[in-house]
Amino acid sequence: MNPSDLIAILPELVLVLAGGILVLADAFAPGLRPRFGVFAALSTVAALALRWTTPLPGAVWSGALSVDALARFVDTYVLAALLLVVAMADPYLARTRARFGEFYGLVLWSATGAMTLAKADHLLVVFVGLELLSISLYVLNAFHCDSALSLEAGWKYLVVGAFASALLLFGIALLYGATGTFSLRATARVIGERSFAGDPLLLGALALLLAGFGFKLALVPFHAWAPDVYQGSPTPVTAFLSVVPKGVVLIALARAVASLTPTAISPRWVTLLATVAVGSQVLGNLVAIAQRDLKRMLAYSGIAHMGYALVGLVAFGFDGLTGVLVYLAAYTFMNIAAFAVVSAFSENEDEPHLINDLAGQGWQRPFLSFALALSMLSLAGIPPTVGFVAKFLVFRAAVNGGMAWLAVVGVINSLVSVFFYVRVIYYLYMKPLPQRAPSYSEPLAVRLVAGACALAIVLLGMLPAWVLGAGELAARTLVR
Amino acid sequence: MPTDSLLSAIVLTPAVVGLLLLATPRAAQRLHRWAGLAASLVTLAFAAAAWAQFDPANAAFQFVEKRQWLPTVGISYRLGMDGISLVLVLLTALLQPIVFVSSWKSIRENVKGYVVSMLLLETGILGAFLATDLFLFYVFWELMLVPMYFIIGVWGGERRIYAAVKFVLFTLAGSLLMLVAIIYLSFVHHAQVRLWSFAYEDMLTLSVPMGQGFWHSPQMLLFAAFALAFAIKVPVFPLHTWLPDAHTEAPTGGSIILAGVLLKLGTYGLLRFNRPLFPQAWAAATPLFLTLAVIAIIYGALVAWAQRDMKKLVAYSSVTHMGFVVLGLFAGTLASTQGALLQMINHGLSTGALFLLVGVIYDRRHTRLIEDFGGLAAVMPLYTGAFLLATLASIGLPGLNGFVGEFLILTGSFARYPAAVVLATTGIVLGAVYMLSLVQRVFWNAITQPENRSLADLTWQEALAFAPLGVLMIWIGVHPGTFLSLSEAAVRRLIGG
Repeated sequence: MNPSDLIAILPELVLVLAGGILVLADAFAPGLRPRFGVFAALSTVAALALRWTTPLPGAVWSGALSVDALARFVDTYVLAALLLVVAMADPYLARTRARFGEFYGLVLWSATGAMTLAKADHLLVVFVGLELLSISLYVLNAFHCDSALSLEAGWKYLVVGAFASALLLFGIALLYGATGTFSLRATARVIGERSFAGDPLLLGALALLLAGFGFKLALVPFHAWAPDVYQGSPTPVTAFLSVVPKGVVLIALARAVASLTPTAISPRWVTLLATVAVGSQVLGNLVAIAQRDLKRMLAYSGIAHMGYALVGLVAFGFDGLTGVLVYLAAYTFMNIAAFAVVSAFSENEDEPHLINDLAGQGWQRPFLSFALALSMLSLAGIPPTVGFVAKFLVFRAAVNGGMAWLAVVGVINSLVSVFFYVRVIYYLYMKPLPQRAPSYSEPLAVRLVAGACALAIVLLGMLPAWVLGAGELAARTLVR
Repeated sequence: MPTDSLLSAIVLTPAVVGLLLLATPRAAQRLHRWAGLAASLVTLAFAAAAWAQFDPANAAFQFVEKRQWLPTVGISYRLGMDGISLVLVLLTALLQPIVFVSSWKSIRENVKGYVVSMLLLETGILGAFLATDLFLFYVFWELMLVPMYFIIGVWGGERRIYAAVKFVLFTLAGSLLMLVAIIYLSFVHHAQVRLWSFAYEDMLTLSVPMGQGFWHSPQMLLFAAFALAFAIKVPVFPLHTWLPDAHTEAPTGGSIILAGVLLKLGTYGLLRFNRPLFPQAWAAATPLFLTLAVIAIIYGALVAWAQRDMKKLVAYSSVTHMGFVVLGLFAGTLASTQGALLQMINHGLSTGALFLLVGVIYDRRHTRLIEDFGGLAAVMPLYTGAFLLATLASIGLPGLNGFVGEFLILTGSFARYPAAVVLATTGIVLGAVYMLSLVQRVFWNAITQPENRSLADLTWQEALAFAPLGVLMIWIGVHPGTFLSLSEAAVRRLIGG
């Protein structure tokens, strides 16, 4: 081990240590609990600063990790999401009397797992990263241990997650059987040397990898867990769950695709991936129309959005990967804005977060409602929001890749989705306030998170050059 | 005013003021009203400055602005103004202050939201007229959607939600396919020139492959995608069903903007994009669009005739008038296209005025049913005069603006498509029938309802809002050359003759 290996993973080390300190502090100095949120946020900022000040050496730890521009992009994305989630979690935990060190420790460790997964160039590290990410989340989902819904969410995510991990592990085993290596780089070399077209071991491995990742991404037909888990988990956890695992798993999938070149193994790969993408869009958007609970609606919307993002992976290439990366950045801000507002618009965690309860709030609480409305417009892909830019880029990748039909399907799905996103705005601004309007708290931290996300949605929507440039730089590490 | 950022000043002034107003307290309604009016007047002044410096002999875009936006994708912030956009920008900038004056009293709740929505809407409209990059055009095009959704949905009539959602879904249904078409067009540009670009001027140099049949012809498919978006906006006959709802349910100011300029974006798009970019597909689609235009002219007039609600009647008259514009565009001669462009302005003026005046009477009586009125001429002489002027302009009385536009369209189209012109002419007769019978039932006859005996005439604010429209109706009617000469060079360039 040489020092540059350690320097390359300093951000992860900071998060692991900070998480450990928080868990221990909870046991030995419980009086410090109100400060935990600030400490977690500061460690996140420190990790982010380290990632941007340390060099990017590329392959480290004997090629197990790739600390490259792509890794930096994903780390930035994960840490930004983490910071926003920690900020919105603090008032939430205070209100639900769950302000424990374990919460922050687990969130930080989960983010560490996500960052590891996104850099993994070795299939076993992929697995370890994914497990660290997921196991922390299983506990976080069930963090309200006296709420049946929360426990159900934890259980469901655990069972489905374990199943997905098993599929993934089996896929990795098959891949090892076919190529004799766990390293993605070496795999790419082996596959480049001789033809594996139609190789049964690799076909099986591809199918299992896609299924394993598909569960984590909640893609059709592996999506069924999403609504219940979204609904039952504590809202800040749902926010984290809805953006971080999905983003890094997409990147892991992209790294795998870049080195396995599945199109060379089976010509049906593109059809398969496109079918999954279209299926997710159609199912997510159609079922979201029927939802009355905001969190469930956002779960189905998340299924659809992963379908859109997957279009970038179907097209692959430079345009496609750039599109995916910008999509992830956009998705983070719009989803976290939505969940931050949802966490403020709920009196009691056990009650459903009904869209009906938003009636008339637009004029009552202009700031949060505006942020929620903006996030809905961005999710619907209406300019000048970042959601539009993201959709534009993935659809452009599809058209440039000779799959204009995927873009057409995508825009038709967007049209369907407008119906339920705009309905939220309708409730906020066009429905009268009910006689007994629910009294909601509006803590400063949530206002800050919602405001920051709203600002990002508009600024990145109008000046996307910044995020696009970062995405292009990152995409270039995988494809030319 | 330096000309290198004049267009940005026109486009962005409303939005900047609107966003600043967001930060003001809700209760400051006077501030919001005055700031909205001031912003729209400043925009009008900028537009007038552009008019003063505009060179009508030059067919190319003037006051061009170009800034990098997404260079790797080929997207830039490009604005430019030719004669066609100039007249439409002038119309928009003129109608906006009128909207604010007309809603001074009638909008009482959430004034801030109303003013901000209107200002953002104005930026969207002006930006769409001035954008010379297809991506930027699309951004402005969609920017109009949300403010209009709010204007109809929050401040509208009884069935406002239905109307607002219908408006959004119809508009988006067309425009999303246009987005794919825009992306594909840039793909074609890259295939032919090896350069990523979304610039309008670059697209003009392309020849989009025509191919065989409809489904295998990129040009036909792209034409269809663009035309669908624009045809919904115009609206062309079978796609018009959102219009009566949106126009009727929108508040007066929203109806004025909708009828006055939003519909023009459809015909503007057909002329600006479909005509020069897809010439063969345009030729192939001409019989279809001429047929639909003639149907719209006659059908719209017949339906308008049957209406009992004054606002609905004016809404359906828009279908007829826009039918004339489509007829002029697809007939494709210089005279008919110039006539179509002038008719777009005329319709904005006369229909804007009619919605304004129907709003006046609605504010007084809270009904728009024709049968609730009668004999108003004796009670409201000034109002009657204004309404009569707008009516006569709308039905094309010589000496007023409507006549010039319709005459140019019909004479310009006759040589090529005599049958369509003959049929369309019946629409003019029907137009006189439904508008004059409206005037007769509302203003002449005897006063039947006692409430109508004590109606107040136009207030000075209402008169002030109407005055510029009335002046322009006469001005264009007497001397259309002022405006026709502005656009002639640009129209010649687009229709290639």
